[in-house]
Amino acid sequence: MADVAAERTRPIERVRGAGLEKVLPYLFLAPALLLVLAVIAYPMIRGFQISTQFYRFGRPLRSVGLDNYREALDDKVFRAAVWTTIRYVFFAVLFETLLGLVLAMLCVRELPFIRAVRLVLIIPMIVTPVIVGLVFRLLYASDVGLLTIISHNLGGGDVGLLSKEGSAFWAIVLLDVWEWTPLMFLILLAGLQSMPQEPFEAAKVDGASGWRTFLDHTLPLLKPVLAVAIVLRTLDAFTTFDQIYVLTQGGPGTSTQLVAYYGYDSFFRFQRYGFAAAMLIMCALVLLAFSAMAVRMLRRMDR
Amino acid sequence: MEGRQEEQLALSRRRFIQTGLAAGGALAAGSVLAACGGSSGGGTSSAAAGSTAAAGAASGTGTEDLKGTGQIIIGGFEDGALEPFKKVILPLFTQETGIKTQFLLEPYDSFFSKAFQDGTSKSGQFDIYIMDDPWIPQYAAGGVLEPLEQYGLTAEDTYPAPFIDLGFWPPKSGPRVKGFEDQDPTLVALPTIGDLQTLTYRNDVFTGGAPKTYDEFVKTAGDAQKAGKIKYGYVFRGVKGNPIVGSWWPVMQSYGADMFDDKWEPIFNSAEGKASAAFLLQQLKAIAPPDVAEYNSDQEGAAILGGDAAAAIQYSGAAIKSDDPAQSKAVGKLDFGVTPAQTKAVSQLGIFIHGISSGAPNKDNAVIFCKWFAQDRIQIELARGGDLPVKRAGFEDQQAVSQHRLLPVALAQLDSGCTPRPRTPDWSEAEVIIGTALNQALVKGTDGSAELDQAAKDVKAKLDSLGYY
Repeated sequence: MADVAAERTRPIERVRGAGLEKVLPYLFLAPALLLVLAVIAYPMIRGFQISTQFYRFGRPLRSVGLDNYREALDDKVFRAAVWTTIRYVFFAVLFETLLGLVLAMLCVRELPFIRAVRLVLIIPMIVTPVIVGLVFRLLYASDVGLLTIISHNLGGGDVGLLSKEGSAFWAIVLLDVWEWTPLMFLILLAGLQSMPQEPFEAAKVDGASGWRTFLDHTLPLLKPVLAVAIVLRTLDAFTTFDQIYVLTQGGPGTSTQLVAYYGYDSFFRFQRYGFAAAMLIMCALVLLAFSAMAVRMLRRMDR
Repeated sequence: MEGRQEEQLALSRRRFIQTGLAAGGALAAGSVLAACGGSSGGGTSSAAAGSTAAAGAASGTGTEDLKGTGQIIIGGFEDGALEPFKKVILPLFTQETGIKTQFLLEPYDSFFSKAFQDGTSKSGQFDIYIMDDPWIPQYAAGGVLEPLEQYGLTAEDTYPAPFIDLGFWPPKSGPRVKGFEDQDPTLVALPTIGDLQTLTYRNDVFTGGAPKTYDEFVKTAGDAQKAGKIKYGYVFRGVKGNPIVGSWWPVMQSYGADMFDDKWEPIFNSAEGKASAAFLLQQLKAIAPPDVAEYNSDQEGAAILGGDAAAAIQYSGAAIKSDDPAQSKAVGKLDFGVTPAQTKAVSQLGIFIHGISSGAPNKDNAVIFCKWFAQDRIQIELARGGDLPVKRAGFEDQQAVSQHRLLPVALAQLDSGCTPRPRTPDWSEAEVIIGTALNQALVKGTDGSAELDQAAKDVKAKLDSLGYY
């Protein structure tokens, strides 16, 4: 028996003897690390490399340093796209957060059929974005769109949401809200369900109103989850492309042209690889800075 | 114990939140950057493949020399016009030559970038690309297409000149982009399917036949609309970019304007250009659907085929649907004609054109296909199958004409005037600028004059940054 135990410890001793003890964890981590390098680090490095080249006819002709970055900053279409994207993200995430919170508060209680209701509420999120774009096109189209048909039945005229700059912008915000409110709902619902019950019971005993309880207990306890949800949605909304491609192609004018769509046009249609890469890298850096700020903010909250 | 558990819980929650954020940030940044990191590898056109038995075969002759084994992979973009090609031509090719075909279709934008990447990286996904003709400058300048004359493929004079000229790079006429000024034009692609804009009109509105001038057109259509005979006098594509530029093109050309002069100076904001834009944005808009700014080809087609519009200027692939009861509610009421003239009747040309990929894995078979397809009798088959051919023999075949009444009208349009888009790899970017300006003017309800001036400045600045001047 003792021999068997000694036999079992031998390989470990051998490892210790070889001094591999400290290396072993890293060896175990290596496959995952290599994968991360391949799928995240390489595209980033390659992207940066492309952004410093001047491309013509699909080929890199010369290195131009940071000229593509300067050109992007001087480009009024890019600046307009950034501004449109910021407004789009702000309003979309704002409405999604508010609606998601309201829905989560309503669905947190265990009522009859609540599971079915929760299931129905998350359906928009699981539909492919391109399909969502097509569905909303059939909804918004001024000739055969559902809104126009309803308007005609009520004695009104064509509803041309996508033919005017202002309404087209709000139309794509509405689409995003419809599609992504369920994500906020799910995250916030999970947050609400994992809250400790004691503070709420104490508040009830003290006779606090529902609104007071929400402000004093629910919201503070939900803050970290809320922050995560907002940051994740912001990062995702910033890269919105599919719905714009299907629905408006950035128009009318440039009213719905988001950064991702302009980047696509520049990269794939105009073959201005360096310029497009510079533009998107700048956006990625802004997003990284935003994430870093959010992490710091959360650390402070936790303290 | 309980306290420690709580601490562990708090710790794990904090870690979860922080890790989630960091991962989210990295993923978002990664996805943005991954878009930039796509292969854009360089590489020039490979040297011509070795001579083949097929290469020696005479073009336009019988099929005895055009035999092979194996397969070819043909790639194209999704378009109704490729249906007869797929159903009639490809099976016939396999039957006559013994070469099997794989026909891969993708959405327009997707195939444009995919095929270009395939050609530059020589990954060998396709043997033959079926392209839109404005792609030729980008593809040829990028070394994606094989020069064809080395395989005995020539620009036969049985192709109408406006068609076959599009297969040359640098272009045989007109301005050239920097770096290609002194090169001899090389044949890199052959026309596949003819496509051009013609007028589709309601014969119960334009009772005297196709209107000869735009003024006559607007008056007749406008009167019919006012009289309640038809819902809209005209329908056009108003979406920014290519759609609205395509709608403006026949009017602009008809007024005697053009996009660029011989030195690539934008001249679309000339007096004629502005007058034509004002005509589209005000007079034609007045008789069009009120939300025409969001109309693309599907809505344009729905309006004319649904019986709501009195006329549309559209490409052949859309026009031929007029006689199909499965797609049109106005069968028998729609006729075709040459586009109206202000100073001349000119429309836009936009043919399907095919070339051999410089990375083609089955180059010999691709050459056989090009030679086989260039024969007059195959063009007649194409015309009889319902497509617009690219050789006069197809246009003039009596059986084809009796089956497809658009054919003689398309030939008349070709003879009257039909111009391609500017032969520059940077046209798509210029088109987006011009098309955005026109769309903005359409939405605002202006005559487009100020917008065109601004667009001309923007296009010039863009071309300047690319070394045009």
